[in-house]
Amino acid sequence: MSSVTGRQNPDSPARRINVIEGSFNVSRHDGDLLCTVLGSCVAVCLYDTLARLGGMNHFLLAEPSVSDPQDARSLERFGAFAMEQLINEMIKNGARRETMRAHIYGGGMLRPGMERIGTANRTFARSFLEQDRIAISHEDVGGNTARRVEFRAASGQARCRQIPMNAANVPNPVKQRSSPVGDVELF
Amino acid sequence: MSAISILTVDDSPSMRALLRHALTGEGHMVSEAEDGVAALDWLAANDKPDLVITDINMPRMDGFCLIEAVRAQDCFRDMPMLVLSTESSDDKKSRARNAGATGWIVKPFDPEKLAAAVRRVT
Repeated sequence: MSSVTGRQNPDSPARRINVIEGSFNVSRHDGDLLCTVLGSCVAVCLYDTLARLGGMNHFLLAEPSVSDPQDARSLERFGAFAMEQLINEMIKNGARRETMRAHIYGGGMLRPGMERIGTANRTFARSFLEQDRIAISHEDVGGNTARRVEFRAASGQARCRQIPMNAANVPNPVKQRSSPVGDVELF
Repeated sequence: MSAISILTVDDSPSMRALLRHALTGEGHMVSEAEDGVAALDWLAANDKPDLVITDINMPRMDGFCLIEAVRAQDCFRDMPMLVLSTESSDDKKSRARNAGATGWIVKPFDPEKLAAAVRRVT
């Protein structure tokens, strides 16, 4: 998982940050643009206008079943962790559930047979946000095209474009990890 | 090891289900609470469990407050309490340790590491 936080020099150059599958990113820098490309995956964007920060996650599947691999690395693909990590990082940096707003993107059907996954992903995102009492202010979900999402985290401004799947070139960034997933420390 | 009773505290139903699957697979008996308030209610109404595993960020009452509230009761002073959180910062761990936590596990958890931790603290 990757995350970027911290107020930067206003004169520092704008950054385009790609949020890849199974990762998330939180920023309060005005110049940061969080970007992702989605098919049946879902990205949830959160922002808090009072705390002036926002974040985006990107998950492949909604919830693991008991038949899925249960190791920590495999479980990172699921919305259950992606949502919790994004919300926790937002709260850690000053956001509050009461003042957060959410956008949901993706969950489309790009190939026959993928509808169940996309539907499950967007249904999961909605129910998780409702359970956490975070208001959903915008959705662009479903359909049978890919989506390119650009989210200016600090302001909550977003742009979502539907694109043909063959034009959905996903960048190939290096995935970074910020937490020792699955580690145990006894006091 | 013999079966023990474990109370899991997490606001995420899917996380509670994963924990239930992992812990019952080890033969343990699992009870669940959705946040710190529900956990305190459960502890007041039931026999003391052998272990509590709690999330940190939860509505109504977070994991830190839960640990402090539990440790304030004499009957729960010796009950192991593990934190299970997506966070892993030293200051959060330090706060948990000072509140009376027995250990810290980073989500997503590894079932084998979780089972080993349960064996060590109970």
